[in-house]
Amino acid sequence: MLKRSLLGLLLAATLAVPIAAHAADPNFTLTIKDRKFDAAELDVPANVKFTVTVKNDDKVPSEFESGDLNREQVVVGGGTITVFLGPLTPGSYEFFDDFNPTARGHIVAK
Amino acid sequence: MLRNKLVAAATLAAAALVTRHAYADFEMHYPVIDYREAELEHNGSTSVDNRSNLNNNQSYTVELGYGVTPWWEPEIEFDLGAAPGQNWTYSATTFENTFQLTPQGEYWADLGFFAEYSHAASRIDADQMTFGPLVQKEWNNPFGSGVDTLHTLNLLISKQVGRNRNDATPVQLSWQSRLRLNAFFEPGIEYYGNFNNIADRFTETDPTHRAGPVVVGAYNMYQYGKVKYELGYLFGLNNATERGTVRWRLEYEKSF
Repeated sequence: MLKRSLLGLLLAATLAVPIAAHAADPNFTLTIKDRKFDAAELDVPANVKFTVTVKNDDKVPSEFESGDLNREQVVVGGGTITVFLGPLTPGSYEFFDDFNPTARGHIVAK
Repeated sequence: MLRNKLVAAATLAAAALVTRHAYADFEMHYPVIDYREAELEHNGSTSVDNRSNLNNNQSYTVELGYGVTPWWEPEIEFDLGAAPGQNWTYSATTFENTFQLTPQGEYWADLGFFAEYSHAASRIDADQMTFGPLVQKEWNNPFGSGVDTLHTLNLLISKQVGRNRNDATPVQLSWQSRLRLNAFFEPGIEYYGNFNNIADRFTETDPTHRAGPVVVGAYNMYQYGKVKYELGYLFGLNNATERGTVRWRLEYEKSF
């Protein structure tokens, strides 16, 4: 009985994925073209959740990565990803393309 | 997409119920997949105690994995171990799967699912399935401390299957909280609780509780890959547990 209850609890916990998206979160866009980010600095509001849409206009894949932000997401050539971030304390957070580390920028939370 | 992930995870979990294998395994599983990254990983632990039956209990794994999709990472794991006073033996070959069920950072917590099938090397041991949820929570700047934190919880249930199986249901509860000071050095604390049979009365040797400090870090070499490490010391919290356990993880990963 206890085993069944436990398994049921596990299954419920796994399926209890929150379905409400953060539709109202502010969104910012970064474009990768010719293996560079189009904005070396992206200003965002501090202390709120926000999303960054990363568009890869190149044909080769890139990886949006940031140790400061604890994010690492591949964006295939011609593809788009959404990176969910924040709330951030005011400050500067470095990001780079892990497949081409010369492409770098900062998200600045103000 | 989420439906596909759940179906795949449920299929492996169902397979787990039909299968088995059980030993203490001090490894934190994270619910975020590194898509298109290949990993070579080593985990190890060794116990320290003045009781000979609990001293120098060793466990080692070598794992190879790849982020096949943004939500699925399979790994093949080779398990070795040495019980106190005994020689090393090859104990099992394990097929491990981690599923990322929610995009990182979208919801209050990140959710994943872990499922593995472990094939015992010895004919006298049974195979084992292990599965359960992985939960991770980023908590930035708690109480205005100015430090970001990361918290991870694993709840893994095991069942033995096939020849020599028993009816026990071992459960492992693992928790880790760490300060994200910088990528190279993230100190924290962690806890591992092992219940040999959750459906049975507790005994003098069951459950075991361990907790202690851990340091986690990563060094990015960019086009040459990335090295990650974890090093922790777990204090035994009850008489059934050895006095201390050193655990470590060393990982090399590279994108392709």
